[in-house]
Amino acid sequence: MKLLALIKKEFYRFFRDPRLIVTMLLPGILIFALYSILGNAIYSEEEEARAYRIYLQGESSLVTVLEEVIKESGDTVEFLPLEDEESAKAEIEEGEAAAILVFPEGFDETLLMGVFGETKPAVRIVYDPSDEASMTFYSIASATLQEIGSRFEIAPQSVRSEPELGREVMTTILPFIIVCFVFSACMSVTLESVAGEKERGTLATVLVTSARRSDVAIGKIVPLACVSMLGALSSFLGIALSMPKLMGMSLGFLGTYSVWSYILLLPLLLCIVPLIVAVIATVSTLSRSVKEASAYTGVLMILVMVVSIITSFVPSFGDWTVVVPVLNAVVYMQRILQGGLPVWQSLVSVGVNLLYTAVLVVIITKMLSSERIMFGK
Amino acid sequence: MKDIVVRADSLHKTFTLSRRQRKLEKTGETKKVAVDGLSFSACRGEIYGLLGPNGAGKTTTLRMLSTLIKPDAGDASVMGHSVVKESGKVRDCVGFMTSELKLEKFFTPDYLFQFFGAMHGMSKDKIAERKRDLFTRFGVNAFAGVKVGDLSTGMLQKVSLVISIVHDPDVVIFDEPTNGLDVLTAKVVTDFLMELRAMGKSVLLSTHIFSLAEKLCDRVGVIIDGKMAAEGTLEELCGGFSLEDRFFSIYRDLKGDVL
Repeated sequence: MKLLALIKKEFYRFFRDPRLIVTMLLPGILIFALYSILGNAIYSEEEEARAYRIYLQGESSLVTVLEEVIKESGDTVEFLPLEDEESAKAEIEEGEAAAILVFPEGFDETLLMGVFGETKPAVRIVYDPSDEASMTFYSIASATLQEIGSRFEIAPQSVRSEPELGREVMTTILPFIIVCFVFSACMSVTLESVAGEKERGTLATVLVTSARRSDVAIGKIVPLACVSMLGALSSFLGIALSMPKLMGMSLGFLGTYSVWSYILLLPLLLCIVPLIVAVIATVSTLSRSVKEASAYTGVLMILVMVVSIITSFVPSFGDWTVVVPVLNAVVYMQRILQGGLPVWQSLVSVGVNLLYTAVLVVIITKMLSSERIMFGK
Repeated sequence: MKDIVVRADSLHKTFTLSRRQRKLEKTGETKKVAVDGLSFSACRGEIYGLLGPNGAGKTTTLRMLSTLIKPDAGDASVMGHSVVKESGKVRDCVGFMTSELKLEKFFTPDYLFQFFGAMHGMSKDKIAERKRDLFTRFGVNAFAGVKVGDLSTGMLQKVSLVISIVHDPDVVIFDEPTNGLDVLTAKVVTDFLMELRAMGKSVLLSTHIFSLAEKLCDRVGVIIDGKMAAEGTLEELCGGFSLEDRFFSIYRDLKGDVL
């Protein structure tokens, strides 16, 4: 009953204060807007002069047109006969060639005669969407050819499968970004709610009632974790939805993960929220003011960020990481995003993180009972 | 013989002074004895006043009795419960009001009353009944829906008062009850304290205002340097003199002619 009243009070405090809601949800909206604008700017800005190496199969007068268009833009292009498509694709992947351009046999004659049969002839362009030069050539070629006529189609083909590209990006960046956003979301509400209340003397007013110290601790952690999850979700959605524009790709790869991947990802993501809230709440309870708590939390944030980003550079961690808080969630989120299904490791990691949270709740309870910490000058 | 509801038994409390505090108090001592073997008792249906200068140990004593802090030695009981061993039970039968305890500015008196009622384990009906009674008596209804941050000092003091006694405690502890109040609110508070006494509640208050002690207190304990310097009913203590004259006489006897 008392615990419920404490939890309801925190929710009431948050959801009745428009400023808190805005500060919680705004980062996600801003990230979406900023990254989208940034993505558009990256893919529309003028590039320096490039020398494109293009493997060509089949003949067409459109090649000359394309060559002129590219030269007019200040770039140069070299067309090479396509002998082995696989080795040409390998060169594209390595960034040595920009694209393969394939015209069907008798392409120009077919266009002139206007006899297409049931399907229009298609110009195949093989390129690498993750390579800037290759992507630019593809954009120029497809735009030029589309301008010339609608009697044929363009069949784009990526040397990388989109899921593979998406996974690469998501695996390296996403877990780190998630942890950063979760931390900043937790920090904004927890510092104010715990260190702020302690500094203002309103926490002491609650401690003078017969509510148990453990109820006061849980009554803070549970609602703050829920609110932080909301903020983290907002930021996460902001970046997930703007990433296609930023990376020049679609969200289609998200569908390549199985339901089990998402089922495992969700608890891994959620279990770090109460843990981080509990860590910040511990520091806040220990601190005498919001300023002091902010300083300590800043150091903690750097530590957590380093732990999260280190996984991008170290290719594989052993299963011992299940016992390391936060790192375990990041490592197994990466494994899942790479296409793996580390079931037991993920479940143990969730359990371990929740256990650490429980330990911190006990520590906070002890600190709330300590007059030196709560009332020391 | 009246029931003893509050009994302090050789209470002792020492604080460690920080470097900043040592500098402020111009002392090299790292420890400060705030309360030094204090014993007294307060009975049901009486107002007991702790009278003393600033730094005498009045507030520390009240904080120990309300279980905010623990004594280093000695113990105290409130309604038969030890402040050291049964702090939860003590908090259920004590209402503590001090400027140290603040209310969140974001909430309204209405919400806070319900919240603190729930914190004391009261039912919704009981809270509603108590709210009707106290809000009417202290004139809180007029600003019950206004955020605490927007209230005047007098209004805020009234709200703090009604919230501290939301659970209808048997023992009410007030640290400097009329400090910072306008004359009208101070009158409401002193009248209410007398009313609490009439209802059989025990009131413990600290003050350095002689007139307030003379007006309200049935018994007074004079604290100087954390020790009980004198105790008794006003008649016993004053012996025909005014409380102010008697206090300074006690002070002079203990500290020498330093005034």
